[in-house]
Amino acid sequence: MTTSARPQAAPPRRRARPDRKAWRFLGPFLAVYLFAMILPIFYALYQSMLKVERSGPMGFGEPTVVFAGFENYSLALQQTSFLEGFGRVFLFGIVQVPVMLVLALVLALLLDQVSNRWAGLMRAAYFLPYGIPGVIATILWGFLYVPGISPVNDMLSTFGFQPDFLGYDNVLWSLANIVVWEFAGYNMLIIVAQLKSIPQELYEAAKIDGAGPWQTALRIKIPLVRPALILTCVFSIIGTMQLFAEPLVLKKIAPAVTNDYTPNLSAYFDAFANANVYMAAAKSVLLAVAAMVLSFGFLSLVNRKQRSRR
Amino acid sequence: MPTRRNVLAGAAAAAAAPALAACGESAGATRMTSATRRKPGQKVKLVFWTWVPLQKAAALWNKRNPDIRVEVQMVPANTSGGYQKMHSSIKAGNPPDLAQIEYWALPEFMLANGLTDISAYGADKLKGEYVDWQWKQGEFAGKTYAMPQASGPMGFFYRQDLFDKWDVEVPRTWDAFRRAAMKIKKRSGGDSYITAFSPGNVVWFSSFPWQRGARWIRTEDDTWVVDVAGRASLEVADFWDGLLRDKLVAPIQDSQSAFFKGLQTGQLSGWLGAQWQDALIRGNAPRTKGKWRVAGLPQWEAGRHVSSNWGGSATAVLQGSRHPVEALRFAHWLNTDPDSIDLLVAAGYGWPAAKLDLKKSALGKADPFFGGQVYNEVFETSDRNVDTSWQWAPTTTQSFGHIQDNFAQVFAGHGTIADALRDAQGRIVDDLDAKGLKARSAS
Repeated sequence: MTTSARPQAAPPRRRARPDRKAWRFLGPFLAVYLFAMILPIFYALYQSMLKVERSGPMGFGEPTVVFAGFENYSLALQQTSFLEGFGRVFLFGIVQVPVMLVLALVLALLLDQVSNRWAGLMRAAYFLPYGIPGVIATILWGFLYVPGISPVNDMLSTFGFQPDFLGYDNVLWSLANIVVWEFAGYNMLIIVAQLKSIPQELYEAAKIDGAGPWQTALRIKIPLVRPALILTCVFSIIGTMQLFAEPLVLKKIAPAVTNDYTPNLSAYFDAFANANVYMAAAKSVLLAVAAMVLSFGFLSLVNRKQRSRR
Repeated sequence: MPTRRNVLAGAAAAAAAPALAACGESAGATRMTSATRRKPGQKVKLVFWTWVPLQKAAALWNKRNPDIRVEVQMVPANTSGGYQKMHSSIKAGNPPDLAQIEYWALPEFMLANGLTDISAYGADKLKGEYVDWQWKQGEFAGKTYAMPQASGPMGFFYRQDLFDKWDVEVPRTWDAFRRAAMKIKKRSGGDSYITAFSPGNVVWFSSFPWQRGARWIRTEDDTWVVDVAGRASLEVADFWDGLLRDKLVAPIQDSQSAFFKGLQTGQLSGWLGAQWQDALIRGNAPRTKGKWRVAGLPQWEAGRHVSSNWGGSATAVLQGSRHPVEALRFAHWLNTDPDSIDLLVAAGYGWPAAKLDLKKSALGKADPFFGGQVYNEVFETSDRNVDTSWQWAPTTTQSFGHIQDNFAQVFAGHGTIADALRDAQGRIVDDLDAKGLKARSAS
């Protein structure tokens, strides 16, 4: 009796306070999210409109904080090296993101072909670099780049090549190499997941129509993992804009990595080396806006294409 | 009974409280130094952030002063993260009591209101025990803000065995230095260089214009005058441009793995460096023991002994300390007590800021690593001949960043060291302007 009574009573209760229960689960997350994410954003916006005024002999008198309006923004936008940093990450992204995603896609497609026994092991192997923190990865790669220590340099020099991986013109691509190594496996995994969700009937239909592995990959798999590719691309654009740990670590052995090498690095040095958090806040806001424009721009571009195709 | 949600909300609110309090923006330090009253016998703990391995000296202090325990916390050296950490702790209002700050960085910390005025706690009475110019590094507007620890008189470390092998004389002038560089490169078959040129270390480079008599920064009343591209600086720049053009020096970043390998293998048969690097060479190239010697810097005019300085640091009481009196006592003991100095010397901390008799300290001993040479006699002469009117700007990190960026281009084959200095001149004035300071370009 009791067993049949319960299911009858339960549905109306569940319907009566659905959102209250949801809030109870969301509450802790939202509280942390609010204090750790949303509030700091507004705090940064507020700080970006302040500046310090100094007085006294040599400016060492008591400093005061005053409202500056958009002065920090205009100073940041006049700073050539900061703007060059944007240019640099833009160039970096245009080359590195496609290279990484093509690599991830090829790996994912290959893994999809491989028999199941090895697939798991290889998937783990490709994914492994993602488990290594960026700082450690950069230190490791650093040893492979430094002339005099790197076995790669030694090997190449026996063939008469003397590449300067840390030189002014090359260091950006040495960084790109590290980032590709770190994230190709991660992006591959997202694409693999999408590949797994493709229904088997499609493959069977394709086979019946006479499609080989190449045709299946080009006409069925790639179009159907499009959402995964878009997702990884947006992540990569945001990641590229925020390039920070890798150049910061490489900076020690590569003087070509300047204080304003990437916008994020520039903000960091303003905040912690120049002790000017207000300028750093302005630069961070500019960086966030740029990342937002680029990722939403990319999304609307692919969406428009999709719509026009229909 | 509090529900889980209430507890979480309460915790979140508690976590947010300091964040909201910070909205009452303060320029620079959030917390001001103030002495907490101590009951007799009450124990005090001082936290000390440094990258100099002076734990042994601190342990000796702790043994002798059980009431005032000093806890040494190692931080990354200077701009590799140490200063960043200090600036953020000052801003956040939870700084350590004491910090290692180099002379060049003191004005930057002053500008952030990050240092305690220790004149208020009786520091000025101790002035007589320190070398005057080093004491002045911590003096601003007539008040004392840091206890000097050590400086870095420059010298020329070289490999006696290699110099003998290739029949190279120790250069006394910069002309002779260039000739020696050519000889070393030729006779070693291009495997060895007379020194490294550290492309990313502008503080190191600045010691050469300093020796020539340049003054990159000086103050006139309350205006900062910038002169990084004056006649003396450009003469030095041209000299190094010549060495770099002819590939007579190795472009290797100092104190990094490639540099140490160069010291170990003899790729670097010499190095123009500061006194405190004796420990770095000893520690990183132990197998070259007995082969090194030290000479004074090469001269622009034969027969003179003009020198310069690279590095040197102070022990500062950061703004926000709750025990400034005890912190000052420790800082003074650390930098003047003979036992402490001997321990610091062993750790390679630099040239003492305390007035002392070289012969009576560990510095005056013949060193088997340097083939039995009492090499510190060279540095004693060097230290006495440093032009001590050199000043540092309160924007050095940023300003030297411009020069470093330009150097990076030089090493990519674009322009010269001289161009790099000329280009930086205007930017450095802008940096000072942007900080709300009065600044102008010299001529």
